[in-house]
Order: sequence, then C-alpha cells, then structure tokens
Amino acid sequence: MNRLLRAFFRPTQKITATGVYTILVIAAAAMVLLGWFLPWFVGPFSEGVGFSPQDAISTAPTGIGTILLYVTGVCMLIVLLSPFVEFTLRARHRALDVRWDMVRAAASVVGLVLTVVVWILVRWINEEPLFGALPNGITTDSAVWLEMYGFGLAAITYGLKRLVLERPNVMFVVGVLPFGVLLPLMFHQAPAFVLWATQSLAIYMLLGLGLNVVVGFAGLLDLGYAAFFAIGGYACASLASPIHGVHISLWMLIFIGAAIAATFGAILGAPTLRLRGDYLAIVTLGFGEIIPDLATNNVFGLTGGPNGISGIDKPVVGSVNFGFNPQWFYWSLLFFSVVVVIMLLNMQRARIGRAWVALREDEVAAAATGINTTTTKLLAFAIGASVSGLAGAFYGAIVSIVSPDDFQFAVSIAVLSIIVLGGIGNISGVILGAFVLTFVIFWALPNLQEWSATLGHTFNVPAISGIDFTRYTFILYGAALIIMMLFRPAGLLPSRARKVELESGIESESLAAVQGRA
Amino acid sequence: MTALLELDSVTKQFGGLLAVSSVSFSIGEREIISMIGPNGAGKTTAFNCVTGLFPLTRGDIRLDGHSLGGLPPHRILRLGIARTFQNIRLFSYMTAVDNVMVGAHWWMKARVWDGALTTPRSRREEHAVEQRALELLDLLGLANYAGNYARELPYGLQRRLEIARALATRPRLLLLDEPAAGLNPQEKNELMALIARLRGEGLTVFLIEHDMRVVMGISDRIVVLDHGEKIAEGSPAEVRENPRVVEAYLGSGASQEMRSA
Repeated sequence: MNRLLRAFFRPTQKITATGVYTILVIAAAAMVLLGWFLPWFVGPFSEGVGFSPQDAISTAPTGIGTILLYVTGVCMLIVLLSPFVEFTLRARHRALDVRWDMVRAAASVVGLVLTVVVWILVRWINEEPLFGALPNGITTDSAVWLEMYGFGLAAITYGLKRLVLERPNVMFVVGVLPFGVLLPLMFHQAPAFVLWATQSLAIYMLLGLGLNVVVGFAGLLDLGYAAFFAIGGYACASLASPIHGVHISLWMLIFIGAAIAATFGAILGAPTLRLRGDYLAIVTLGFGEIIPDLATNNVFGLTGGPNGISGIDKPVVGSVNFGFNPQWFYWSLLFFSVVVVIMLLNMQRARIGRAWVALREDEVAAAATGINTTTTKLLAFAIGASVSGLAGAFYGAIVSIVSPDDFQFAVSIAVLSIIVLGGIGNISGVILGAFVLTFVIFWALPNLQEWSATLGHTFNVPAISGIDFTRYTFILYGAALIIMMLFRPAGLLPSRARKVELESGIESESLAAVQGRA
Repeated sequence: MTALLELDSVTKQFGGLLAVSSVSFSIGEREIISMIGPNGAGKTTAFNCVTGLFPLTRGDIRLDGHSLGGLPPHRILRLGIARTFQNIRLFSYMTAVDNVMVGAHWWMKARVWDGALTTPRSRREEHAVEQRALELLDLLGLANYAGNYARELPYGLQRRLEIARALATRPRLLLLDEPAAGLNPQEKNELMALIARLRGEGLTVFLIEHDMRVVMGISDRIVVLDHGEKIAEGSPAEVRENPRVVEAYLGSGASQEMRSA
C-alpha cells in the first residue's frame, strides 16, 4: 500500500500549474458542490428542487438509483478533493503523479454520464419533459446543469491538463464559454436570475473589457469611465424612445452609440494628454462626475433631467420580442462580447497593442522610438469608450430607462474593481473578474441572508439564521477587496508583465514632465 | 563633406541654469563623432535637444538643412534620428523582440482595424517585422533572449537591446548616450566593432562617452563640452593635445590617461 502511494505521489516532479489551471479546477469543484447543495439552499423559500440525490433515491427504482448514486458520489468526491490534495502537495513543493490525471478525468467523465443518466431516469419515471415547461414551485433542474457543467469542466481540465498548461488562455475560453452560453438554460426557471445575469454580468464584462484598454493596456488610470457608459446609454436612449420621437433599431444603435462614445472618449481624453498617474485619475474622476450632473440638469433638453429617459424600445428580431425573452438580450450581449474579446486580443498582439504597452512602460522612450503619444493615447481612450458605448446601448434597451443615477461614481469603481480583481491588462482576467464580481458581490452577498436563514433552519441553529447580512454587505465587499490585494495583488489571473511589475513597483514619468510642460 | 546635422548656437536654459550655452558644430554624413566632457557638462541635455525631448531656449538644429525646431520627438525620429539613453530606457515588461518591434512602429502600415481584424495585410507585416527584429537581435548577439522581458536581461545586453531598438527605426543618424558604460573590456571591443560596422553600412554615429579608449579608438572627430560650452573640437589627436582640454578641463591626471590610451 505504501509503495502504491509513493508511486502516485512523486516528490521531485516539477511544478507547472498555472493560474488558469488552478481556477478551472476550483471552479469545477465549486460547481459540483454547488449543484449538490443547491436543493438545500433554495429549498424552503424559493421554487423547490426537482433533481437532487435525495430525489433520485426516493423516486428511481431503489436498486439502480442507489448504485448509480453511490458511483456518482465517489466521482464527486474525487473532483471535490483533488484540488485540496493537489494544492496541499504543491505548498510542500510536490506534485501529483500524471496517472492521477487520468483517474480524475475518468471520474469526471463517469460523473458527467451518470448525472445525465440519473436525470433522464428521474424525468422518465416522473413522466416529465426533459427541458423546461415544469410547473412552477415544483422542480428546477439548475442543480443538474451545475452538476453536469462541473463534471464537464473537470473532465476537460484534467483530461487535457497539458493543453491547459500550455495554452491557458485558449483553454480558459473553452472552459468558460459553454458556461456563459448555457447560463440562461441552467436557470431557466428563475427568470429573475436570468435578468440579473443579463443586466450585470454581460454589461459589466463589456465595461471591464473597455476600461482594460485604457487602464490595462495603455496604463492611463481612468476613474470616470462611467461617463462614457452614460454617453453611450443616453445617446442610444434618445434615439430609440418617445422622448424625441426617434426610433432606430438597436442593431444600428450599438454602432452609433459606440461611435458617439468613441468621439467623446477622444474629446475628454484630449485635455488629459499631459497627465499621468494620480493627476490623470483626478481629472477623469471630474469627468465622471460632470457627465451625470449634465444629464440631471437636462442639458440642451436632451436628457430628460433627473427622471432620465424612459420607454426605450425593445428590439424585435423576427417573432422574438426581447422584452418578453430577456435571455436573448443575454445571448446577443454574449455574442458581441465574444466579438469584442477577439478584436481586443488581436489588437493587443498587433502594432497598436505594442504601442499602448510601450506608452505604459515608458512614455519618453516610446516617443523617442517614433510613437506618436498623442494619437496613441487618444486611440486608447476612444477604443475603450466605444466598448462602453456598445454596453450603454444594450443597457438602455434592457432596463427600458436610463437616468443619471445609473452612471454614478460607484459604477466606475465597480468596473475598476473588476479589472483589478481579475488582473489588469489580461483579457481572460477581466472576464473572470466580471464573473467573480457579479456572482459574488451582486448575487452571493445579497443572498447571504436567505442562505444563512436556510442553514439555520436546516440545522436548527437560530444564531445563524439570526445574522442580518444585509447590514454587512459593504463590509464583506471591502474585506474581499482587501484580502485580494494582500494575497493576489496582481489579480486572479495576472498578466505576465503585471505580475513581475508589481513586485518591483517602478513608476515611469510622463513625456510632458520631462519636456517641462507639466 | 556635406553636413547631415548642424547645431547652430544651441542654448538650453533651465531657470537660472545654463545647461547648454551657444554650442555650434556639425556632423557630416557617415561620420563617427564623440562628445566628451565631465559630468554635468550638458552632453545629455544636448542630446535631448537634438531629439526633441527639450525645446531649445535659443538657436537652431538642422537636419539636411531643415530646421528641427519645435518638432515633437516622434517626428524627429521619423526624419531619421534615433537614440539610446544614458540610464537605459527599455520597455521593461515587453519581450526583447517586442521592444525591437516597437522601433518598427512608425513605418509599419497596418491600421488599427487591420490589427483588430487581423487582416492578411496586418499578418504579413507583423511576420515580416518580427523576422527583421529577430535579425537585428541576432546582429547584436541577443538571439537567445528574444522571448525574455527586457528587464530580465543582464545590463550589458540591455544596452545592446536599446541599440537594436534604435536600429529598427531605420535611422540615418544614431545617437548613443554612453553606450560603453558598465561594459567589460570584451564587450567594449564588440561595441567598437559594431559602431564601425554600422558606419560601414551608411549610418552616421554621434556618441557621448567617458571611456577614452572607446572615444579615441573610433571617433573621426571629438567635441568637448564643459559647463555647457564647447571648449574644443577636432580629431582625437588634436583634442588629446589641446592644452585647454588637458589642463583646464580634463586635469593633468586625465591627460596621462589619454596619452596611454
């Protein structure tokens, strides 16, 4: 037995795990765990749960159901425990033997297959249809989706471990994109959740991607990014609502909104060209305050004052009215996000991307190497703003109303938190940051109350159910950010450069400062 | 000899400090010219004036007879004047090959949209420029470091990487600010060979240098600055014998060193 163990735990193997691998492994385990526990979480208060291991025991023929369930349970345990084992070993500078990867991958595949089998069995026994159309308050199959996704992610991560380590960004997309696409299906019986996902996740992801161009690539700290979001949102709202009697299709508006926001990005960027670091941050902060104030004061009678613009058109494609099918908002946003991600990745690798990084690293050397710092900075502002213009167009169409309150300073800070949390300058990091921030901060924290109450009831501990988490939301938010900065200052998925840079902490000076102009 | 670069009573004043005072000289095509002088003599300031980092207080700088006055640094570079910095200014967290490719930025033709959509034009150009950058790295003996961050390179190699980046801009005139500083004798020999080779390929080289062996070994002419003023100009032999340089400025100990060099 000892020899067998030693064969599997080889002490001297080189440790090659990367951030993406770690995150995929943890995400898989978390999904599996969440799927398992979801029945308890949503049990007493919301719509009930159909599929759960308990259900499988009670409804399937005892023999088959129990055996399947025990096997699934073992697979689940392997997926759940392997990150712990692996990271404990890594802390001691050891690594799991490669053979374990095959074992874990096989366990994940078996788990995936069995989950599907049990799910179909339960449905067949209960004579229910496979997808949706279940009476409200009886069943949801969110748990199954989470379970399947967790096992699938684990199978990909462990089975293709070498690919994950060699091409982390590609595999990150392969792992995350299906989750993004299936999100509304997973929660198709919780429309409120879908709407949440539509509004927050995709919008914030786009905003994060746009701000990342300015802050991450070009190194220009922008604290007023919500201003461009506001400009895009208001521009599109006034062109698709009764306020001016103009009704343009959303699919045209996203380009118009992006163009208008880009123009304003360049205009607002121009006065800040000589500034860097703290000074730039303060000026952009000012812009971030001015734009919502202009909207409140109904500038030129365009913005509708404090009440904003309401009654924004819902897009209709064929027979699908997005107003009644909010998940289509989500999917179209996802589509545009993917397009934006691809274009930004291309730009990052191309001529303009190099110029931005050169500007970030050393503005004086960049100028002395032939880069026009003025146009390069303005391009960063304009391209960054255009993405938020696109987000603004969708935002207005989704919530039907834009008002100055939607574009306050807190929005700029939330978007900045996303890219800082995820990893400044790294597109995968920004996507992950949007996921984490929207899931944890906007969904988990507000729901803590309900969950703790459920937990307290289940285990009969009144002290747990008595905690009023709504009071502590911002404390928890702040604590999460502080912990992040202490333990992973470069973000969850740091860009390679950023990781080294933070360890050395060198600031570069501005060209204008060297020339004596600022 | 036609003058490539002309400094015409160039003056740069910082508040009460006269950093460069009415300095005039000219550099001919395919010449190697050195500027020497004690610390604080205004050598790097003169470089910064030529490359447009500092606006001139008075005077004029002409390239091929056209004034460079008021042009921003990137425009001056595009006219053919590239430089390196005394305190190395590489893009620390870019790879060596990317650093050199930044040098190619201004003459690349791909627009932003080409890059965003990775059009064939952008892809072809990126590939060609990358090959060119790798050739330059190879020329400077950096081929094995192409994928390393500039910051990770040893000091001597960082100096060479700066030269590679400057060469990628297709300059006519190369300004080197203390290229031999911190190099060992072997590396200094390689540097001298490289400068001679660059001149052979049609480049004009203008350098600031403290190392007398390098200065005396490769320069066609030497300009001596002290307290912002030009106190001597001439061939290495002339400058070496110039009493003003030797006595008033370099000191007697240094004159010994120059003779032995």
